[in-house]
Amino acid sequence: MINTITNLSARAERLSTWQKIASSVLVCSLSAALMDPLIGHLDLANIVMVFLLVVLFVSVTLGRVGAVVAAVVSVLFFDVLFVPPRFSLAVENAQYLVTFAVMLITGLISGQMAVGLKEKERQALQREIRTRALYDTARKLAGAIAISQVKEICQTFFDEELGVLAALLIAHDGHIDFEAPNNLALFQLERHLAQNAIATGKTIHNESMANTRYASIYVPLKASAAIRGVLALSQFERANYLNEDDLSLAQALGAVLAITIERLHYVAVASQAELDRVSESLRATILSALSHDLKTPLTVIMGLADSLSLGDAALTGPVLSVSRDIYTNAVRLKAMVNNLLDIVRLERGRMALRMEWHSLEEVVGAGIQYLGQSLAGQTVRVRIASDFPLVEMDAILMERVFSNLLENASKFSPQGSTIEIEASVQDDEVHIKVCDQGPGFLPADHDTAFERYNRGALAHLQEGLGLGLSICQMIVKAHGGDISLYNRAEGGACVQIVLKLGHAPHVPEEL
Amino acid sequence: MNSNRVRILVVEDALDIQRLLRSAFEAEEFEVQEAGTLTLALSRAATFHPDLIVLDLGLPDGDGLTFIDKFRTWSQAPILIVSARMNEPDKVAALDRGADDYLSKPFGLGELLARVRVQLRRGSKTESGTSARLEFGDVVIDFVTRTVTKSGQAVNITPTEYRLLTALTRSPGKMLTQSALMKEVWGPHFKDSTHYLRIYVGHLRRKLEDDPSQPRHLITETGVGYRFVK
Repeated sequence: MINTITNLSARAERLSTWQKIASSVLVCSLSAALMDPLIGHLDLANIVMVFLLVVLFVSVTLGRVGAVVAAVVSVLFFDVLFVPPRFSLAVENAQYLVTFAVMLITGLISGQMAVGLKEKERQALQREIRTRALYDTARKLAGAIAISQVKEICQTFFDEELGVLAALLIAHDGHIDFEAPNNLALFQLERHLAQNAIATGKTIHNESMANTRYASIYVPLKASAAIRGVLALSQFERANYLNEDDLSLAQALGAVLAITIERLHYVAVASQAELDRVSESLRATILSALSHDLKTPLTVIMGLADSLSLGDAALTGPVLSVSRDIYTNAVRLKAMVNNLLDIVRLERGRMALRMEWHSLEEVVGAGIQYLGQSLAGQTVRVRIASDFPLVEMDAILMERVFSNLLENASKFSPQGSTIEIEASVQDDEVHIKVCDQGPGFLPADHDTAFERYNRGALAHLQEGLGLGLSICQMIVKAHGGDISLYNRAEGGACVQIVLKLGHAPHVPEEL
Repeated sequence: MNSNRVRILVVEDALDIQRLLRSAFEAEEFEVQEAGTLTLALSRAATFHPDLIVLDLGLPDGDGLTFIDKFRTWSQAPILIVSARMNEPDKVAALDRGADDYLSKPFGLGELLARVRVQLRRGSKTESGTSARLEFGDVVIDFVTRTVTKSGQAVNITPTEYRLLTALTRSPGKMLTQSALMKEVWGPHFKDSTHYLRIYVGHLRRKLEDDPSQPRHLITETGVGYRFVK
C-alpha cells in the first residue's frame, strides 16, 4: 500500500500544476460518483470519512496544490450531492459547516506534511549521493601521488557535485604559492582573502563577489600539523549559488584535501631525506677514494725522498739537498691536498659539528704540533691563562683553524720572528688572536682574504692555494663565531677569532 | 734466516708503498713480509710470527679492523695503523680494537721508523717489565713511593692526576683513546665526561711540561686520545 503511494507520488512529480489540478478533480469526482448510490445506506458521517480519505490520498500523491484542490472540490461535492438539501449549496444544518472546515483543514495540513516529507526525502537522497561522491573522491585522493593529481581530482569533484570552479592553492609555512600551476585561467583570486583564510583558519565567504570574475569562497585546508593551503571556489558564470549544505560539503572535502596534501608533503620530506642520505654517502665514498688515491703516491714520494737522506746509503752534498727539496715540496703538497679535501668535506652545507668542552690551550697546542717542522723557522708563543675556561667546540675542526692560521703566519713572517697566540675572555665571548711580525695585510686583503682561492696581494711571494683562510672562516662561522683581520700598530698581521663562551660543565677540584 | 732479527709484517695493498716500506725496514736490518689482502695477511701473520704489524685499514677483500680483531685473539704484537682515512672515529675504532698507534698517510719515513722503534721497545719484554721508576725529560716518577719530581723538585700531584699519569706512561708510544683513559682513571660511568680528561691532562702538563701549550711528552691526538712520548 505504502509502496503504491510512493510510486504514484514519484510519478505524479512529473506532472505539471494543471495536470495535478485536473487529476485531483478527477479523483474527487470519481469517488463522489461511486458513493452516490450509497445515499440512504450510509450515514453522512461515514461518507465524510471516505472524502477525508480521498483528500489524504490526493495530498500525499499530488502534493500541496492537489491537496487544496481536493479539499475544496470534496467539500463542494459533499455539500451539493450529499448534504440536504441536495443539489444546492445551501446547508440545512449549520453543523455541516464544521465538517467542511475540518475537511479543508485536513486537506491543507496533510498536503503540507506530504510536501515536507517529500522535500526531506529529496534532501536525504541528495545527501546520500554527495556522501558517496565525497567518499569516492576521498578514495581517489588516498591514492594520489602528486599534487597535480590532487588538484585535478578536486576540480572534477566541485565541477560535478556543486557545479562550481575550484582551485587548490598550496601553502608553505603559511604563505601561499600563487605561482604554482592551477586552473586560474577560468577565474581569478583575491589573494588577500586567500591569505586571510590561512591566517584566521576560517572559511571566508564573500557573497558580494559571487558574480564577479573572482573566487568568492576560500576554505583553509587545516591538517594536523599546519594549514596546508586554501581551496578557492568561484561561482562565476555558473548557475549554482552555493547554500550552507554545499559549503559544509566543500569544507568536508577541504579536510580530506588537507590530509592528502600533508601526506604528500611528508612523503616528499622523507624521499628528500633519503636522497640526501644517499648523496651524502656517495660523497663520503668519493672523498675517501679521492683521499686514498691522492695520498698513496704522496706517501711514496715522501718516503722515497726521505730514504735518500736516511740510513747508510744516504746521499751527500748537492744531491742530498735535491732530495730534501723533493721532500719539502711533497709535504707542501700534502698540506694542500688536506686543505682541498677539507673544503670539499666542509662545503656540504650542513657541517656536522662534534661539539665538546675543550681546553683552548690543548687545541692550540695540537695545531702547533700538527705543523711540526714547518714552524721551525719561528718561535710560537702561546699566552692562555692556566685557569682559562673550557670552550665548547669541535676540536678537530678548530685544530685545523689554528694550524691554518699558524701556517699562514709562518709563511708571511721572517725567519727567527715570533708568532703570538693570545686568548682572553671578554663578557660572554672568547677572543683569540694569532699575530705575526710579517708585513701585515694589505688594505685589499680585508675584503677578499676569505674568498676561496684568493691568495692575498702578497701571496705571490709564497706558494699555497689560498684555501686556508676560507676554511678557517667556514669552520668559525659554523661555530657561530666570527673571524676578522687587522694589522697591529707595531706591525704584523693579526687574525682574531671570537667564539661564544657558554657555561662549561663543572669539574670538581681535587686538593 | 736469522731468527734473532725483528720481523715486520706489512699489510698494505699498494705495491709502491710495500716496496718503500720493505726497503726502509730492510735498511734497519728488519725481516719483512708483505700481504696485500686480508686473507693473505691472516695466514702470513699466523706463520711468520711478526714482532710488529704495519696495517693499512683499506684492504681489497675486507676491513683492516677485521684483521685486528682476529689477530688479537692470538697475539699481542704491536699493530701500527697507516691509513689515508681522514675521520677520527675510524682511528678510534682501530685503537679501541687493539691497535697501538696510528700514522696518517702521507707520512715521512723518519716518523714511521721512530714510531716502529717505540712500539718494538715496548713490545720487547726487557723494558715493559715492572720498573720502579720512569724518567722522561727532567721528570722522574717513582712508582714505589708514588712521588714525582721535576728538575729534582718534588711535584705536588693529586691522586687522580697520579692515576692518569701512570695510565698514560705505562705504554710509551701507545695511543690511548679518550674512552679507554676515562674508563681506567674515572671508571665506566664517566665515559662521556671527556672534559674531565682535558682538565686533568692540562694540570699534568702545567706541572710536568716545560711549555704546557707545546707539550713534548703528553701529546694530544685531537678527537682520538693521548700518547705518551718519552
